[in-house]
Amino acid sequence: MVEAFAVASGKGGTGKTTTTMALGMALAEEHDVTVIDADTGMANVLFHAGLADVETTLHEVLAGSASVEEAVYNRFGMQVVPCGTSLSGFREARPDRLRDVVATLAEGTDIILLDSPATLGSRSAVLPIILADRLIVVLQPTIPSLSDGIKVQEYATTYGTGVAGILFNRVTDDEAIEDIAPKAEQYFEGETLSTVSESDAVRGARRAGVPLLSYAPESSAAAAYRKAASALTVRSRDVDTVADRFSSAVIPDEI
Amino acid sequence: MKLPEGRLCRRRVVTDLATPLSRALEDSFTGYARLVPQDALLLDSDSAGILTFDRGIPVIAYHTGTGCGGTDALADIAVAGPYRVELYNLDREALATVHDMSELTVEPGTPAEQLAGVTELAQQTRDRAPDERVDQESSQHAVEAFLEDEERIAEIQDAARQEAQKRASEWGFDN
Repeated sequence: MVEAFAVASGKGGTGKTTTTMALGMALAEEHDVTVIDADTGMANVLFHAGLADVETTLHEVLAGSASVEEAVYNRFGMQVVPCGTSLSGFREARPDRLRDVVATLAEGTDIILLDSPATLGSRSAVLPIILADRLIVVLQPTIPSLSDGIKVQEYATTYGTGVAGILFNRVTDDEAIEDIAPKAEQYFEGETLSTVSESDAVRGARRAGVPLLSYAPESSAAAAYRKAASALTVRSRDVDTVADRFSSAVIPDEI
Repeated sequence: MKLPEGRLCRRRVVTDLATPLSRALEDSFTGYARLVPQDALLLDSDSAGILTFDRGIPVIAYHTGTGCGGTDALADIAVAGPYRVELYNLDREALATVHDMSELTVEPGTPAEQLAGVTELAQQTRDRAPDERVDQESSQHAVEAFLEDEERIAEIQDAARQEAQKRASEWGFDN
């Protein structure tokens, strides 16, 4: 039983990786969760999960020099597959292999969260959105972020991926968001899962390189992420259905 | 709006307006920027956004395609990137007349938030701006104006859908 979510934003700086890790930890209280850093060009999960020094990452798996299992680390109650940050690792990685990675990991987990690139500019950047069953769109209440979020949603729905909901992140004006969120919601297919305010706890967790729910579990931001996780209705489907889904995302062998 | 001609001092193509806005602030730039969209999908290719600066702080915004000024112009400019950014030096005296046009004025931090999506830069800009020009609610009004413009958002959706379909063929996703 597995569902794969792409955590995406279209624009950088919205706190996608913080969100991926926080949602993962919150969901892990009830489900078996696997987080994959699918942002192979600008990886970030390793810095959030205390995995900056590991030798084997998704890069090696995508390059064919390591098995998927070798790149899986148990951290914070989840399985985490970090990605490396070296340019050579990126060059040698074959992004198309991500499908096999996701399909392999899908056999042993309930929820897959794909931390997705903040761009739609290349095949490899769009791949996580194609592989996911549904999208979680991370937004800030600014025109560029909303406009990019709308674009990501259109890409996703064009490629047959659904939308689970939107999450407003790094919110600096709590009153304004109450007016903005309902107006934004009408353009997105999913509901507003939660709004997370920018806070000292979030900034501290980023600086410490620790997921927010571990760094400040009692903070209001942590509570907001838990609210988002509980608002997410995970659809249980059997592994064969998911395997079909992945194989229907047809990708040629050569780039 | 009639803007005196300035002296071109820099021209480059950017996908993110945070860089030119940040540099303008750092350099205490006085003059104006022409922001020419490189993607003709959303707006006609001759149109440009104009943003003036007084010692690094944005003062007025205008869009030559839609004719909108002030905060409304920011919404027109924001969705049109990547841009060719042309910076023109122009002294404060030459800018004085247009800077008196209150209907074109933008709140100092709002361009950083609504063109670049960078709240930290917006705050740095507000910190350096005259107190009487700072209005935190301006950004909210800009976002709400954007979200109320259903036609503009439909254009963004249509353009993104067409782009996704075109790229599906190019990238072989529709095999």
